[in-house]
Parts: sequence; C-alpha cells; structure tokens
Amino acid sequence: MIRIAAVGDIHLSPETRGVLRPAFDTLPACADLLLLAGDLTRHGTPEEARVVADEIRGLGVPVVAVLGNHDHHDDRQDEVTAVLREAGAEVLEGESTVVRVGDARVGVAGTKGFGGGFVGASAGEFGEPVMKEFVRVSRRCADGLRASLEKLAQEDCDVRIALTHYSPVPETLAGEPLEIYPFLGSYLLAEAIDTAGADLAVHGHAHAGTEHGMTTGGVKVRNVAQPVIGRAFHVYHLPVPERVGAATEATTT
Amino acid sequence: MSTHDAGPAAGTSAARSPEYRVAHLQDRLASGHLGELGVRTEVRGETVLVHGTVPSARCREDVLSTVREELAGLEVHCDIVVSEPSSPDHAEELS
Ligand SMILES: [Fe+2]
Ligand SMILES: [Fe+2]
Repeated sequence: MIRIAAVGDIHLSPETRGVLRPAFDTLPACADLLLLAGDLTRHGTPEEARVVADEIRGLGVPVVAVLGNHDHHDDRQDEVTAVLREAGAEVLEGESTVVRVGDARVGVAGTKGFGGGFVGASAGEFGEPVMKEFVRVSRRCADGLRASLEKLAQEDCDVRIALTHYSPVPETLAGEPLEIYPFLGSYLLAEAIDTAGADLAVHGHAHAGTEHGMTTGGVKVRNVAQPVIGRAFHVYHLPVPERVGAATEATTT
Repeated sequence: MSTHDAGPAAGTSAARSPEYRVAHLQDRLASGHLGELGVRTEVRGETVLVHGTVPSARCREDVLSTVREELAGLEVHCDIVVSEPSSPDHAEELS
C-alpha cells in the first residue's frame, strides 16, 4: 500500500508563513509522499514561493508539485519553479517523476492543465486568435500529461498518479456555479488520463467543489483544494498490485 | 427634462443596480492585489451573500473591507472562513 498525502490551493504568502509546517511535520508518520496540486502562492511572486519553499524544505517525504494559475499571475513561473526545486520539490509541467516507496515504484505525471470545459459544453479551436490559443494551451497540457503517463507505463511503475491543478472531470466541481465550469477544467485532461491509464488523479483549483469524482474510464479523481478538504492535506491509501512477473520469477529460480 | 425622469436612455440608475456592483466587486477581489478567486458573491433578493474560504484572517479582513467599500448601502451577509491548517485524522482507503 502506498500512502499519498495531497493538498492544493494553499495560497501561501508572507503573512501565512509557517501555518502548515506543524501539520506537514506529521507527514513521515502517515504518508510516503506529498503531492501539491498547484496554487501554492497567492500571486506567484518569488517572495511567496520562498514561503512555500520553507514550508516543504526537509520534510522527510518526497514532495511532487505542479503550479496553478495563481503561481503564474506574476508571470515569473520559472523563478517560482526554481525556488521550489531548490527546496527539494519535483515540479512537473508535462513531465513525470518516479518516487521509490520501499520496493514499489510510484510514478507521478503532472501538468497545470487548463480550462475549456467538459463534454457537451466545451470550447472549440475556432474564431479569434485568443480563443484558439486558449484551446491550444489546454490541448498542449493534456498532451503533455498523456505522454508523461505513457512514459511512466514504460518505466515499470507499480502505480501511476496524474497530478493537475485544473480538473479533468465535472463531478469534483459540484458546488461551483455551472457557468464557470469551462474555467475550472477540461475533458481533455480526463481523456489523456483514460487513454494512457492511471491509478489516481489528483487536482485542485475548484475551491467550492467536491472531493470525489471519477473519469469515464473509471479512474478515481480527488479534488484536494484546501478549502474543499478542510485540512492541511488528505491521505489516500493506494493498494499496490502484485507483480505477476516478479512472483513467477521468484518461484522459478 | 430632469435626469430623474430621463428613462432608460439616460442610463443612470440601472448602472448602480446591485448586479453590476456585485460583478465589479467580484472582479476587484479577483484582479486586485487580493487575487481572491475563491470568494463568491451572490445577489439574493434584497441582500448580498459573500462566502468562501481564504488563507488567513488578514485576507478575511481585506476581503470584508473591500466588500463594505464596494457594496456600501446594500445589506450584506458575509460567511468567509479561514482555511483549516490541521492534520487529517484519518486516511481514505482506495480499492
Ligand atoms: Fe486556488
Ligand atoms: Fe487555481
């Protein structure tokens, strides 16, 4: 079993310095890794990113993050990423990483993702340049997620997790006004997850949404936005499938 | 003709309707230095309901004073809570 701690939308800034650290210090006792689902800062400044860095430095569990729209607000996402990496976090955008938990290999593929909406009410790549670009950005994020999940499948992972900021499904948005769903997520992310396969999908962004959802392909989705889970993080216990190949090898040698 | 009797063409009173003021408040909360997209403002009949979760007590105060300023004269009910920073007391088993 893998113990996955996750939270998004912590929106830290100098005035909230240190508020999450006491809870994060309990992580080694209850989790094998911490996923951060974006919106780690309020305005995406390096100063705010340093507050996040201090909150996660030397936690004793690996930290894997994606950025959110707030972390892009100051247009200094590369600096924000660098500050978080310096503190030891893996920061993914269309990339993947493998975390070793005992003998198990846990693959995490991540992207911020973007909006566009869901099946039956989604934006199309048509019309004004800015509208086409909106949809293209969403597609690029989803393509990056699919490619990195597929890469993990070839890297012999026991479990694979899709980490995004925007939502892949509408179920976890329940509680948000229907009118803003196209700004909260995109079905392209769910399609990427279902095409490449994953054991769990984790996202944030929808502060008034709902924790539980599922993709059409049956992948469990969890909205871990801090206002939704009402805690510093939530922990999910993910079973590790038995390695059929490895068991056979053991009995034949 | 006084502006008071001018009718819709003069476009004075409609522009001050709660709907537009609430829309401007929402925009100011999101785009200003607050960057607060997690606060929702809804017009409920004669009153305005402001609710959501913010990262700190200071944020809550900032939001409340912005609301008071933008919606002066309207009856406002605020239900803004601060994020809970405690550890969870249980884990979810995923099968
Ligand atoms: Fe957020
Ligand atoms: Fe967000």
